[in-house]
Amino acid sequence: MASSTSVTDVVMPQMGVSVSEGTITKWLKQEGEEIAADEPLLEISTDKVDTEVPSPGEGVVQQILVQEGETVDVGTRLAVIGPAGAEAPAPEAPAPEAAALEAAAPEAPAAEPAAAEPEPEQEPAAPPPPPEPPPAAAEPATDGAGEKTFVSPVVARIASEHGVDVAQVPGSGRGGRVTKKDIVAFVESGQAAAPAPAAPEAAPEAPPAEAAAPPAEAPAPPVTAPAQPAPPAPPPEAAPAVSAAAGEEIVPMNAMRRGIAEHMRRSLDTAAHVTTVFEIDLSKVVAIRKKLKPEYEESYGVNLTYLAFIARATIEAIKNWPWVNAEIRGEQIVTKRYVNLGIAVALEGGMGLIVPVIKNAEGLNLLGIARGIVDVADRARNKKLTPDDVQGGTFTITNPGGWGAIIGTPIISQPQVAILDVEALVKRPVVVQDTSGQDVIAIRPMMNLCLSYDHRLVDGAYAAQFMKELRENLESFDEGAY
Amino acid sequence: MTPSKFLVPGVQMAIAREAEPVGSLQEVKEAGLDREDLFGVYRHMLITRGIEERGHILYKQGKIPGSFYTGRGNEAAAVGVATAMSDQDVGTPLHRDMGVHVTRGVEPWRIFAQYMGRADGPTQGRDGNVHMADSRLGLLAMVSHLPAMLPVAVGCALAFRIREERRVAVGWFGEGASARGDCHEAMNFAGVRKLPVVFICDNNQWAYSTPTYLEYATEHVADRAEAYGFEGVVVDGTDVLAVYRESRRAIDKARSGGGPTLIECLTLRMEGHAVHDDAFYVPKDMFERWASNDPIERFRSWLREHAELGDAEEDEITSGVKKILNDALTRAEESPLPDPSSLTDGVFATPEDLDTPHHK
Amino acid sequence: MAEKTYLQAISDGLRQEMRRDRRIFVIGEDVGVYGGAFKVTLGFQEEFGPWRVIDSPLSETAIVGGCTGAAIMGLRPVAEMQFADFISCAWDQLVTVAAKQRYRAGTPVPIVVRLPSGGGFSGGPFHSQNPESSFAHIPGLKVVCPATPEDAKGLLVTAIEDPNPVLYFEHKHLYRRIKADVPDDRYTTPFGQARLHREGDDVSVITWGAMVWTADEAAKQLEGDGISVEVLDLRTLVPWDRKGVLESVRKTSKVLVLHEDTHTGGFGGEIAATIAEEAFEDLDAPVKRITAPDTPVPFSPPLEKAFIPQVEDVATGLRELAEY
Repeated sequence: MASSTSVTDVVMPQMGVSVSEGTITKWLKQEGEEIAADEPLLEISTDKVDTEVPSPGEGVVQQILVQEGETVDVGTRLAVIGPAGAEAPAPEAPAPEAAALEAAAPEAPAAEPAAAEPEPEQEPAAPPPPPEPPPAAAEPATDGAGEKTFVSPVVARIASEHGVDVAQVPGSGRGGRVTKKDIVAFVESGQAAAPAPAAPEAAPEAPPAEAAAPPAEAPAPPVTAPAQPAPPAPPPEAAPAVSAAAGEEIVPMNAMRRGIAEHMRRSLDTAAHVTTVFEIDLSKVVAIRKKLKPEYEESYGVNLTYLAFIARATIEAIKNWPWVNAEIRGEQIVTKRYVNLGIAVALEGGMGLIVPVIKNAEGLNLLGIARGIVDVADRARNKKLTPDDVQGGTFTITNPGGWGAIIGTPIISQPQVAILDVEALVKRPVVVQDTSGQDVIAIRPMMNLCLSYDHRLVDGAYAAQFMKELRENLESFDEGAY
Repeated sequence: MTPSKFLVPGVQMAIAREAEPVGSLQEVKEAGLDREDLFGVYRHMLITRGIEERGHILYKQGKIPGSFYTGRGNEAAAVGVATAMSDQDVGTPLHRDMGVHVTRGVEPWRIFAQYMGRADGPTQGRDGNVHMADSRLGLLAMVSHLPAMLPVAVGCALAFRIREERRVAVGWFGEGASARGDCHEAMNFAGVRKLPVVFICDNNQWAYSTPTYLEYATEHVADRAEAYGFEGVVVDGTDVLAVYRESRRAIDKARSGGGPTLIECLTLRMEGHAVHDDAFYVPKDMFERWASNDPIERFRSWLREHAELGDAEEDEITSGVKKILNDALTRAEESPLPDPSSLTDGVFATPEDLDTPHHK
Repeated sequence: MAEKTYLQAISDGLRQEMRRDRRIFVIGEDVGVYGGAFKVTLGFQEEFGPWRVIDSPLSETAIVGGCTGAAIMGLRPVAEMQFADFISCAWDQLVTVAAKQRYRAGTPVPIVVRLPSGGGFSGGPFHSQNPESSFAHIPGLKVVCPATPEDAKGLLVTAIEDPNPVLYFEHKHLYRRIKADVPDDRYTTPFGQARLHREGDDVSVITWGAMVWTADEAAKQLEGDGISVEVLDLRTLVPWDRKGVLESVRKTSKVLVLHEDTHTGGFGGEIAATIAEEAFEDLDAPVKRITAPDTPVPFSPPLEKAFIPQVEDVATGLRELAEY
């Protein structure tokens, strides 16, 4: 029996073994009213029976937590009874942990610390080779005839204990299997002379947990996980806690930032970065866009951006200059017949960028590309990207021009060999020829496109010719052709 | 509510004997109880009801897990029989027979602890509600499969017979459980061997929602006794003195080698099968009729009329009971829950466990 | 020391105990005047009287429930089910009351239920079963299966001493077929300790009851082929000798679990699973089981022979294991 000096909870009782919930039908007392011990406090209804609930304590009803008509699980707190004159307890923060987890969710694309799981915006490595098992356990041994046979647990154990390669042991079991007797005899006869083969290094870490998201401004870091089995550096060990000096504030890097840091460094260390800048006269594109934009919105519900035009023109240019869409593997050049176009999307609050990929963009027309861009941008901002969405890119376009930059030197996203930076669209005075061939000044919408490329594969001339074609595509954009 | 209503005229032989009500204090003295004893009986009935009423509240407050059963309305039948047992006798009471545990001396706080699954309950939290017993007090813990304890009670009587001890076993069962084979096998064996066992049928008219006429086809359950070779008696279960007197007769008979008796106590289950059952299937007027025959109220009236129970004594008894219960509840509420690490202890007995009063 | 049959060992052991301890009594159908369907209690009623050798009605529930009550009251009953198969009539008493009293109420129930079990003589579906596994599954019950006359007596004595309900499966087919020297004095055989029936290096057979002898015959055959078979007689199923079994498994790395009971849910599954869990790295072959198939016990001799594992079945299985 609760004494008159303590606070008592009123809980939903279990009226029968199989009953799991109850509904409050009526509160017989309201907040602030006095109540005696065992006095009926409320009425409830369950699957089995309707009944009154007597108060477990005496004093004053401080708080009613569940209202009439609500159904709650057995054991749920329904009300609080306190000594007369006491203050009501502070309302419980609704599941603060759950809320905090929710708040953490926007980081979700990269929030998890270095774990083995691929993050949505990463491109996980090809599955790492399985950890090397104790010699011969998982690997099929071969007998003299070259067939694969089974190695039993005890044989595997003995083999590993003595550093024996089961393949060396003659087998007398079924199908030539090495039996326990066989390996024991082998070991005892002293033939197990070879030292244990050095177990290969533990498998490279499964997809490194970097979430290399290109930031908004100039160095646009690429955003893939390496495809090579070369073990990437695991996210750096957290530095020993350093205390802040006066005027300093110290915050540890989160996983996304760590990932970006690692990837940027590695990319610069891998590729021979060169950047070339071309000025593009976008007047034709501007005019076409003005015309098509309302049509696209009305008929297709798609927002037609300059980016769509650029992307479309780029893909056309890639067809003739495939090495900007290629990959270097060791000393081999891997060209691809498809273009998986990565489009950088800024995350809110300057928290980073994510680069979802439009797969097989070579098969899309302007509308298709526009729609694709809208779709991945939306999904990126609403955290609906899947790991597949951020893998497999072959060429990336990044678009910091919205902030006003006119030149950039983006960092290539490994293992791609080029990345195109789209700068601001600025009205400039330019020299053009009038109808009679005279030079005059005109005002044109001008945009710089900056291509960073890997000089290991792509030479300056190649890159320039690619960009020249890209410019021509844009300056003579024919909506009919696209 | 007198049993004579059930008498079928002309068929005297096949009918269980109907017990006569007890009248004066003198009759009671002849039956073996004096005034102090009677107040003790009254107190036991009050404690029984108090425990169950309080348990009912606790259950609704969420302090008692699982389900909760009471024997409201059965207090006279339970206390009456238990009072007629001697210390050396043993019994297998059921869930309507809390009065037996109370009369035999189980402490109320341990009963509350049992309800609340505490470590100091008689089963240390391993079983719930009335599935408890203190074997040192000669009681065996019931199981849910009813009436599985009847053959066990007969087994106790068998031991007494083998050892030629003047002890009696009492086995309880309900009118619903009488439908199962265990009941037949137990009674048959007891009758064949004339074992010192008394069978008590708590006939409270309802087995969950099943009425008597869907459980057995005879007029009384006690009619079956004849088939097993011993006497059957029907008694008004709300009359504690009548129950006592019949029990005394039967127990004495068994003790002196006269074999078993089947006593059927007629009562009403005044609440649902368990607290979660509101007994909508029981006609309201049935509740009303039996409520006017409440066993505690009946006995109180009888005591005031025949045993000169005055206000002062009555208050003393009532407030004494209240204090016992309040103290018991506090003590039980403060007692600890069982430690999960003890879960797998005691599945098997050790030789030390055989050091009981029975194994001497 | 004297040579006794398996049945005589049980009978003499029981008689010796009843002479020693007046609390012990026997109850069952036809155990008194008739001396028991298999004559295990022949002459007992003459010696101990009708209240220590009790002819019960045909009432397994009353027998087992009666024993439970009497045991709680301080006696030491030894019940006889006429056939192990009839234990199903008393299932509730065993499983609901006897098995759980100690755990729930601190009340020990020291009873022994003797169960003539097993087939091989055209007893048909209801006189030939080995219903050991369902009871092995119930916490609170002990299960015992002697295979030799010496163990039959020793395990019975231990069972009577044990303060728990003990199901004592005596294999009918061994009653008169097996003879051996049995010590005259009183001795106990511990539960949970297997007996090495036959030592070997190449394959282990884990078994109990009449199958011990079948395994023995098969082992002899394989010896002729240069295969050394170890036969471990578990003797008790609850508790069972995990340690002993695992030791044998570690030695030979090839194990056959053999029982006469049917396959699915048979106690062999428990043993096989335990071996897989705890001796995985010692196995040179899968754990093999040879059991009766999942059918009721058939009556006609060719059917029954196909049902009960025969020496040839076991020998074949052992050879397969040895050659794996």
